[in-house]
Amino acid sequence: MYVIGIDVGGTNTDAALLFGDQVRAVAKVPTNHQDLFQSTTQALREILAHYHRSDPIRLHLSTTLSTNVIVEGRGTPTVAVVVPGPGVNLGSLAFPFPIYELDGYIDHRGREVSPLRMEQVASLKDVLQEMQGYALAVVGKFSGRNPSQEQALSEELAKWHRGVISLGSRLSGRANFPRRIVTTCLNASVAKHHLDFVDMLQTAITDPISELLLLKADGGTMTLHDSVQRPIETILSGPAASIMGAQALTQCKAKNYLIVDIGGTTTDLAAVVEGEVLFERDGATIAGYKTLVPAVLTRSIGLGGDSELAYQKGTGIVIGPKRAGNPLCLGGDRLTTTDAAVALGLAKLGSEEAARQGFLRWGQALGLQWDVLAQQVIEAFTTRLVQAVESFYHELETMPLYTVREVLHPPELKPGAVVGLGAPAPVFVPALGEALGLPWEVVPFSSGANAIGAASARATVGITLQADTELGIVTIPEMGYQGEIHRPLFFDLAKARQLAEEKTREYARSLGYDGSSEIYVVEEESFQMVRGFRTVGQTHMVRAQLRPEARRIKGES
Amino acid sequence: MTEQNVPRVGLVFFPAFDWAIGPDHPERQERLLYTRDQIQEEGLFDHPAIREYRPRLARDEEILRTHIVLPSLEEKITESHRIAAGGTIAAADLVLDGLVKRAFALLRPPGHHGNRVVHGSRGFCVLNNEAIMVDHLRARLGANLRVAIVDTDAHHADGTQDVFYNDPGILHISLHQDGRTLYPGTGFTSERGGPGAYGQTVNIPLPPGTGDQGMLLVMERVVLPILKEWEPDFVINAAGQDNHFSDPITNMRFSAQGYAQLTELLAPDLVVLEGGYSIESALPYINVGLLLALAGLDYSRVKEPQGLRAQDRQSAAVTDQVKRVCDEVGELWQQRSEADLEQIFGSADFFQRQRQIYYDTDNIYESQQEYIRLCGDCSGWRMMYTRSSRAREPVAIVLTPWICCTRCQTEARRQYQEVSEDSTFAQAIWQDPASNSYRSRGAVHR
Repeated sequence: MYVIGIDVGGTNTDAALLFGDQVRAVAKVPTNHQDLFQSTTQALREILAHYHRSDPIRLHLSTTLSTNVIVEGRGTPTVAVVVPGPGVNLGSLAFPFPIYELDGYIDHRGREVSPLRMEQVASLKDVLQEMQGYALAVVGKFSGRNPSQEQALSEELAKWHRGVISLGSRLSGRANFPRRIVTTCLNASVAKHHLDFVDMLQTAITDPISELLLLKADGGTMTLHDSVQRPIETILSGPAASIMGAQALTQCKAKNYLIVDIGGTTTDLAAVVEGEVLFERDGATIAGYKTLVPAVLTRSIGLGGDSELAYQKGTGIVIGPKRAGNPLCLGGDRLTTTDAAVALGLAKLGSEEAARQGFLRWGQALGLQWDVLAQQVIEAFTTRLVQAVESFYHELETMPLYTVREVLHPPELKPGAVVGLGAPAPVFVPALGEALGLPWEVVPFSSGANAIGAASARATVGITLQADTELGIVTIPEMGYQGEIHRPLFFDLAKARQLAEEKTREYARSLGYDGSSEIYVVEEESFQMVRGFRTVGQTHMVRAQLRPEARRIKGES
Repeated sequence: MTEQNVPRVGLVFFPAFDWAIGPDHPERQERLLYTRDQIQEEGLFDHPAIREYRPRLARDEEILRTHIVLPSLEEKITESHRIAAGGTIAAADLVLDGLVKRAFALLRPPGHHGNRVVHGSRGFCVLNNEAIMVDHLRARLGANLRVAIVDTDAHHADGTQDVFYNDPGILHISLHQDGRTLYPGTGFTSERGGPGAYGQTVNIPLPPGTGDQGMLLVMERVVLPILKEWEPDFVINAAGQDNHFSDPITNMRFSAQGYAQLTELLAPDLVVLEGGYSIESALPYINVGLLLALAGLDYSRVKEPQGLRAQDRQSAAVTDQVKRVCDEVGELWQQRSEADLEQIFGSADFFQRQRQIYYDTDNIYESQQEYIRLCGDCSGWRMMYTRSSRAREPVAIVLTPWICCTRCQTEARRQYQEVSEDSTFAQAIWQDPASNSYRSRGAVHR
């Protein structure tokens, strides 16, 4: 099948047309920040110009809409209605949303310790009546273990609230109440903007486009239908698309490798371990907000092809973190790292003469040979990159370990190779590989890899199943599901896993995904519960999802 | 990293989810599960004031600076013990390296019943985690370091007391349920330390039924004044959590709020988890409160789901008893320098003591004979003979203190020479923590 991938970036919108594992075409247009839809459809038109058939095409879109709404603070004003029970004082956490705390309490096993008081909801109505056009986020502590109070509360609120209501338990089965509050509020605040965007996108679904999927921060895709409920998952899909692109395009045979995406302003690092890219432990951080949105783990440094250059006595060359604008070689008015590569003949881009003149002038001012200076820029860039890579892996290696087995045999994270992408990659990745003592590779289509990554992405949809055989209850917060365990004595981890797989399939189908693909268990744990020297039950946790098949894309077009 | 950016609390969390003494034993996989769930759901693992770190394995020399493990390390120490000890060391390093202001080693298995000589497991403990940490602190900062350990577990910290009872660099304060009513049956006010550190072992036995009120009274009347006077460089809290009203194996009535207040008052540099087996009703809430208090955050809303019933509050009789204990301990502390050491320890060259030690977890009996050199210039070198019901051949141990005078050094070396040539001993062991030297003749190393 033909698939088009479009990635809306800060500067450009990239598009790629794939057929099976072949790249048929790539295109690039400037991003129109005033009207993302306009530049997106323009990129679509340009790529469709390479398409001369009538077979249906699927479109995968990585858009910055929700990201921008959040970063620019343009979201719908949102009020959080929370059921915190005892514990950390939420007042000390400085949430950027008004928070109303209600009575009620679910404990860590999902048992209701104290009930909601619906009369509090009625008085909330009086308080909120003053506000216009706001959204609501409803979040309870341990709602992942028992979403019933959240559900009852949202039903009560829906009796008079006309706007969006987002439920924390539906968005994530992971434990972390403050992050769940933030995630739910952000979800509610972008929901309206997202819905408007989806309405527009639906007009784009005309021949030959048969289906439109959106990219998520975890590098997977989601249906428009699904995205309306969980628009927050579309944040930060751009960096994820690039990483997916690198994974799709690399010829690298190493199980562990480092992905370096060198852009104009920043360089992103990601780690592949045992063939799978690493994810954030809890979730994405966006504009300083810590969320539970599943996301590819990337670390960004202020180092890119357009970074500004300075010379400090003692230190020498200082690169970035600011962007200088276009390089001299492309008609800009300030020297950049790209100019150093062009002046030295390491890269062919625009006017080599302009770049060389720039270094001549700077060299004269500093009393240095122009080529020595340009070489120092390249070296300073590489040194910074090496340091960033080292601290990135150092950070990964501090991830906590909770079992004796893991401490004795900690997961090997160290890369066996470097895979680079982005326009400046051919200049800097070889030097980086050499400095790290690792084989390196620059993927083909280096500057359109993000769109290829978007096109090669697969649906990721998953659930968190929590079973407590003493209480005889299975909970799947994402589905709002709670069911009884009929034969608790026989409900072991294997049974929990089997049920998780069935439920993942059921959930995927309900959201419009192909439920026939393989389900895999991302994470599981199981404990015997002993009370007074007697085993009273077991607790199982299984996180399962559709397997996002790694798809390799051929390098040549 | 600027001062403001240093997280206030470093957390070394190691729940050992794959290790148990036995499937139904209180020290089992499940023990810190609900604590993990609560800390995670409260968002404390990624609170800006708190940072989580990995544990590590303790190395042989780090263990053997503190312990003598018989017949050998390999036979008695599991990897989980090495990780608990290593995790505790890792917590200390976080503070020493300036990465955090305070650190909490929230890990298992526990350690405070671990004696200097280890033949097996006592009270669920093998290696004494905080003792190993204290010796690590001294190895990094010097033998002159003054460290106070305040043990707030419901059980007397007999192991820690044993390790440091003749150590002038250590002040050991243990608050616990009266030994006449609870394992290990020791920890009376009369146990005040050896000739080299007399008065620096401070036992505060509390009557069963003591609650937050009594505990806070002890803190204000005894513990804090003693600490203020002694001026330690480091304060360590061996934070057992079994004084809780819901604990199944003790009879105390502390609450999570009480523990948090205790932590705030004590303001320890380092905290190490000890016991506590009310794994669902107490530990999650105590640990959240403790972390918040350590980080200087508001803990006033931390509460157990099943609050303390009115009839379970501390009775007036208990309050009176606690006051009497406070008065007694306070007086003993004040009079410690007036004590007549000759009368207590004799005027011979050596003070001698003989003990029978029972290892309840492993069902081993140890008999031990100890000689401490009464020395005016240092706390004195020591000679120990030990044998156990498992290893009947006696073992001879020669110990030198962290700060050791030349005469004691010479005498100790001569003694070691003698015992190492004596074939009656299965092993002859030399332990000199200050120079990190540990030697053993006849050890079965595999």
